[in-house]
Amino acid sequence: MTTSPPTTLIESEDRREYKATRRRGLAVDLSMTLATILAALVIGFLVMLATGKDPIAAYEALLTGPLERSFRVGRWLEDATTLTLLGLSVAIPFRARQISLGAESQLYAGALAAATVAVFLPLPPVAAVIVPLVAAATAGAGMGFVPGSMKARLGANEIVATLMLNAIVVRVYDYLVNGPLKEPGSSAVHSERIQPDSALTPLTDWLGIPFGRANVGFLLMLLTAVALWLLITRTPLGYRIRMTGSNPHFAEYGGIRVPRAIEWSFVIGGAVAGLAGAHLVQGVYGRLEPGLAGSLAFEGIVVALLARNNPLVVVVAGLFYSYLRAGGDIMEQQTDVGTEIVVVIQAVIVLLVTAQALPDLLKRRLARRQATAIGEAGAR
Amino acid sequence: MNSVLDVVLSSAFLAAVLRVATPYLLAAMGGLVAERAGISNIALEGQMLSAACTGALVAGYSGSVAAGALAGVAVAVLLGVLLAALRLELGADAIIAGIGLNLLASGGTAYAVFTLLDDKGGTSGLKSGTLPTVTLPGIEHIPVVGEVLSGQNLVTWLAFLAAPFVAWLFFRTRFGFHLRAVGEMPDAAASVGIAVRRVQYAGLALSGALAGLAGVFLSMGYVSFFVRDMTAGRGFIALAAVFLGGLRPWGVFLAALGFGAAEALAVQLGTLDVPPQLVSTIPYAMTLLALALYAWRRKRRGVGEVAPASL
Repeated sequence: MTTSPPTTLIESEDRREYKATRRRGLAVDLSMTLATILAALVIGFLVMLATGKDPIAAYEALLTGPLERSFRVGRWLEDATTLTLLGLSVAIPFRARQISLGAESQLYAGALAAATVAVFLPLPPVAAVIVPLVAAATAGAGMGFVPGSMKARLGANEIVATLMLNAIVVRVYDYLVNGPLKEPGSSAVHSERIQPDSALTPLTDWLGIPFGRANVGFLLMLLTAVALWLLITRTPLGYRIRMTGSNPHFAEYGGIRVPRAIEWSFVIGGAVAGLAGAHLVQGVYGRLEPGLAGSLAFEGIVVALLARNNPLVVVVAGLFYSYLRAGGDIMEQQTDVGTEIVVVIQAVIVLLVTAQALPDLLKRRLARRQATAIGEAGAR
Repeated sequence: MNSVLDVVLSSAFLAAVLRVATPYLLAAMGGLVAERAGISNIALEGQMLSAACTGALVAGYSGSVAAGALAGVAVAVLLGVLLAALRLELGADAIIAGIGLNLLASGGTAYAVFTLLDDKGGTSGLKSGTLPTVTLPGIEHIPVVGEVLSGQNLVTWLAFLAAPFVAWLFFRTRFGFHLRAVGEMPDAAASVGIAVRRVQYAGLALSGALAGLAGVFLSMGYVSFFVRDMTAGRGFIALAAVFLGGLRPWGVFLAALGFGAAEALAVQLGTLDVPPQLVSTIPYAMTLLALALYAWRRKRRGVGEVAPASL
């Protein structure tokens, strides 16, 4: 894995070719993603048409709505931050071909840790923001470690393990928000507010444009995505995770300790999902609310799939996906089409993404036909 | 402690266990059939949800409970076949395709209910009725047994017959033999002339039918209407029961029954002085523990992956 600068002509040529291949791969990823989205939008259009709605008005609200006012842009960026972090959090284990469905438990654990620190621990100004973030990442990493090591060390099915952990953590969260952490003397169910110093600075304060609750968490998310991209593509650990994902047996023969790579992929993913929880607490709600994340955790999976687990593409997919979510809300307010159609569009996107073999299948059919044609010609 | 025992030993509680366990039993058997056929069916949740919604809607509009139930089961079968097609024809990952189908079911049912009834919550405005209950003559008057069994829904009876049915299917029929062969080693199965794809399609259709019956019970047995996302993760729990039961019919039966009992207990204990949220984590924590123990034992025995190739 040591890369010395290319010296000979052949080496530099190899390198150029390798880079070109990778660039082509990225271009293919992006264009397939766009085609998938387009196809899903067309299907959504047809569904609306078939159910007697006005798809043109609906799509107008869906596609232009979020940009019409600056606070709507803020709503979009705020949602994109959480969603992209969740997408990143599953993209890493997915890279090791581990189907982790545990983002939910990791997010709630992160939110609990961030809120507990930010409410109860008095800290000086800058530390007041950073310490809860670190606490959230640690809690999330811990929630990733449990199913991760169960899978890596014992071979326990990670899908079942993460689902069970989700169920447990969500209930514990619910208990804590309704009980020990509930704001004393308040009739509503939520925790106390975090200290003002712990809040992530709203973008409004920086830019002077009313961006609602969008905050510096957005920049933190961008940094995280770049960091994860570097980790996956440029570091030994990233290499081990990728090798484990592409062929665990080969990786084993190559001297990679596969269980450890699997474990790390869960821990890193968990830490990132923990950050998503901290963003909801420190940037969006300012406290713990019941059902903090809604269905976001599962939608993070869709974002990761859509981006083929490439951290940089996850950002694009996350922005697009939350744009659809924000647009769906506006569509529901302005037309008689419910936001559920957005979920249908999302589902179609997932199904199309999984049906990747479609182009391969066509190619194979063509090749087979060619082969038989040649065979027949030879027989004659 | 005495009061807990009183609750657990009461015949009303046992009757509640049977009722609560019904959807788990059916869906878990559905998951088991798919798993043994070599395709993980994580779409159980979506199949249940679609069946529950279709059942309530069709029954409400047609006025026929039977038509509703049939339509519900049919939709779930269709989703099972769709999952098999995505896996077999398009090379999709079964887990991810399953997640997609679950999303589709969640959005699709909510969209359909909103479009038809202009109601976001569910179909409670629609009179759709429930499936009949069964009273066996004679049993009613036996103490305890009568109180537990009498008046249970038809689907509950079917749910308890599902395990022996699947066991019989797996180990006593030609189809079951083929199904297990296909799930364990598709190439070997193909080499002895088994039509691998056809068996898998049939397996996934059967899996969908069982999950569909579970869904129909939710909206036409448990209550008499469909509520948005009313499956509430039961499909995933059923999937956990499949693994907890070690992929064997009677093991899965016991695991699913255990989940039902734990849920019924959590509801009962909620009336006492215990936080219900914490009580309801018990079955999940037990599953996690059992999963770890099971995996550890398997590893210590030195047995390789027993799970079918689909995982």
